[in-house]
Amino acid sequence: MKKILIFIFSAGFLLLSNIGFAQNASDLRINEVLVTNINDFQDDFGQQEAWVEIFNTSYGTVNIGGCYLTDDISNPTKYFIPKGDVLTQIKPRQHILFWVDDLGFRGTFHVNFKFDPTKENFIALFDSNGRTLIDSLTIPVLAPNVSFGLPEDGIRFIREKDANGQKVTVDLATALPNTTPSTNNHLKDQDSANQRLISNDPTGLGMAATAMMVVFTVLILLYGVFRYTGHYNVKKSKKNALKAQGLPTNNVKESTVVPGEGSGELYAAIAYALYLYQNEIHDEESAILTIDKVTRDYSPWSSKIYTLRQTPTVNKK
Amino acid sequence: MRFLSVQGESFFEFLGDNLNTFLSYTAFAHFTVGHVVMLLVGLFFLYLGIKKEFEPMLLVPIGFGILIGNIPFDTAVGFQVGIYEEGSVLNILYQGVRQGWYPPLIFLGIGAMTDFSALISNPKLMLIGAAAQFGIFGAYVLALLLGFSPNEAGAIGIIGGADGPTAIFLSSKLAPDLMGAIAVSAYSYMALVPVIQPPIMRLLTTKKERVIRMKPPRVVSKNEKILFPILGLLMTTLIVPSGLPLLGMLFFGNLLKESGVTRRLADTASGPLIDVITILLGLTVGASTQATKFLTMKSIGIFGLGALSFIIATAAGVLFVKFFNIFLKKGSKINPLIGNSGVSAVPDSARISNHVGLEYDKTNYLLMHAMGPNVAGVIGSAVAAGILLGFLS
Repeated sequence: MKKILIFIFSAGFLLLSNIGFAQNASDLRINEVLVTNINDFQDDFGQQEAWVEIFNTSYGTVNIGGCYLTDDISNPTKYFIPKGDVLTQIKPRQHILFWVDDLGFRGTFHVNFKFDPTKENFIALFDSNGRTLIDSLTIPVLAPNVSFGLPEDGIRFIREKDANGQKVTVDLATALPNTTPSTNNHLKDQDSANQRLISNDPTGLGMAATAMMVVFTVLILLYGVFRYTGHYNVKKSKKNALKAQGLPTNNVKESTVVPGEGSGELYAAIAYALYLYQNEIHDEESAILTIDKVTRDYSPWSSKIYTLRQTPTVNKK
Repeated sequence: MRFLSVQGESFFEFLGDNLNTFLSYTAFAHFTVGHVVMLLVGLFFLYLGIKKEFEPMLLVPIGFGILIGNIPFDTAVGFQVGIYEEGSVLNILYQGVRQGWYPPLIFLGIGAMTDFSALISNPKLMLIGAAAQFGIFGAYVLALLLGFSPNEAGAIGIIGGADGPTAIFLSSKLAPDLMGAIAVSAYSYMALVPVIQPPIMRLLTTKKERVIRMKPPRVVSKNEKILFPILGLLMTTLIVPSGLPLLGMLFFGNLLKESGVTRRLADTASGPLIDVITILLGLTVGASTQATKFLTMKSIGIFGLGALSFIIATAAGVLFVKFFNIFLKKGSKINPLIGNSGVSAVPDSARISNHVGLEYDKTNYLLMHAMGPNVAGVIGSAVAAGILLGFLS
């Protein structure tokens, strides 16, 4: 019964953990969308069309092949992103661009639907099972060449306090000041940590003090925990020792029994035993190997008769 | 009699040209003063390791690696033999250093070898391990003053942790160009612990302090030993997750040892595995010190700062114990000679504490007490590396 329960639990866990998301497609985000492209980025055919940028938020490569793009929530499998195209592999923290031009025959990155610039548009990314929604974005009507997306790559929602002090979820998707197809929406200074340290803490004393504080905090915490567990263990050992001696265990504190502490003679005896043990183990034996004849007086130990097996007897009943 | 080739060139001319080409391929044609200097450094390391027995497990592979790395050759030909040539055997072995996965494996072995009983029985010794990390941050401040960038200063500062694998791990992330110099500097000073630490310890302590006798450590139960790596991992990495590769492996190795049910795994981690990684790590770190990349003014600065960080770490440990003693009751005082053990050169610095202690009282054995801060230093330096990585990367 117990084994069956373990099996059911394990199978359930595996099933639950495997729902939907294949190949970590859940790490993908719709990062930026341009609906009306008049004189912005061109595709390989030299045409300016609407585009959608997908961003891989993880630090591992994700293959978007097999997933679906759609502009209709009731039809999640509208555009199947072909599998087997090496270009559908999105490297860690990198982007991929799809042209929304209803020209699917032009290759993997041209979808089979088109946006309507005169009204609000919708775009969604579904996982390879065609049911699990990974991300979606509703794009309002915007001026030509103005894209809509996430100011910070991959970060759509944040939790912050409103005017009443209540924590609310804020959607960061907005019209972006510049179009940045296939590049970061917000270009961070690559060396910002270094630059900030140089400008704010040129001597390094601030950083050294903070870091030492953290080191001490960590080790003080460890000290606290092991001081407590140590006290508990000493108390428990004393109790066990009293129990073994048949003494009452209700006054452990006053007891003089200290487990593990013996007399000096005891330690000396152990040390001497160890010394003898170590000195018994040696490479050169004291016995002498010789070819000279050595005569010994008769002893039953050296008599052949005693080393032979006895003739078996048959018991007859 | 003349041997004529197809083009009318004599056979001997052809042979001479071939010989010239061959000579241009030999190391002699590419030797520089830098290569000679580095070969001498390699030989000196071998001398220290073999003859003087200073950390032979480290200095012999590193010394021999320096010899391998400083045999010059014509890089334009594309022999693919050098450590910096992509796809070469040495380059493949070097990836463990470059990508930083040798150091955590070394930590796995260290965890499987280390007995934390001394620390568990007297947990206040952990604070000495924390104090010795002043060496890291002292060197960081000095490196900034000398004009190194914050990333480089962080990588140099970690030399003060006296922990070779940690130094390699951090420098591979923060300043890969300086990794060779930092690793060689860290291992050199670790080998020189018996020379660097005793004068500082004597200078900062009085005769009375040197003969302080400490309480014998209590017996630690098996449960406590099993709990230590589990709680240790949770408490340290929840605060400093960037230290996870080092701390995770250290505590995992220790759990393999202490659980008592994974003896084979513990034996492998503390035996064949750590031996293999030590060989590869030492050899490739040594080979990465090619004269053309290694002999720079920055390397000299790194060596100077490395020495200073060791001195600061030792002094901070000793002075912290003296300060700590002000708050301790008479029978519970700590001998400041174990303060130097806060640097994580295990077990060398603990041996130094014991050795110096015995000079002043022939019956006062400090080894077991010194092992506490010594292993706390390993945890402390890994935590410090995690903090530096978090702040600077």
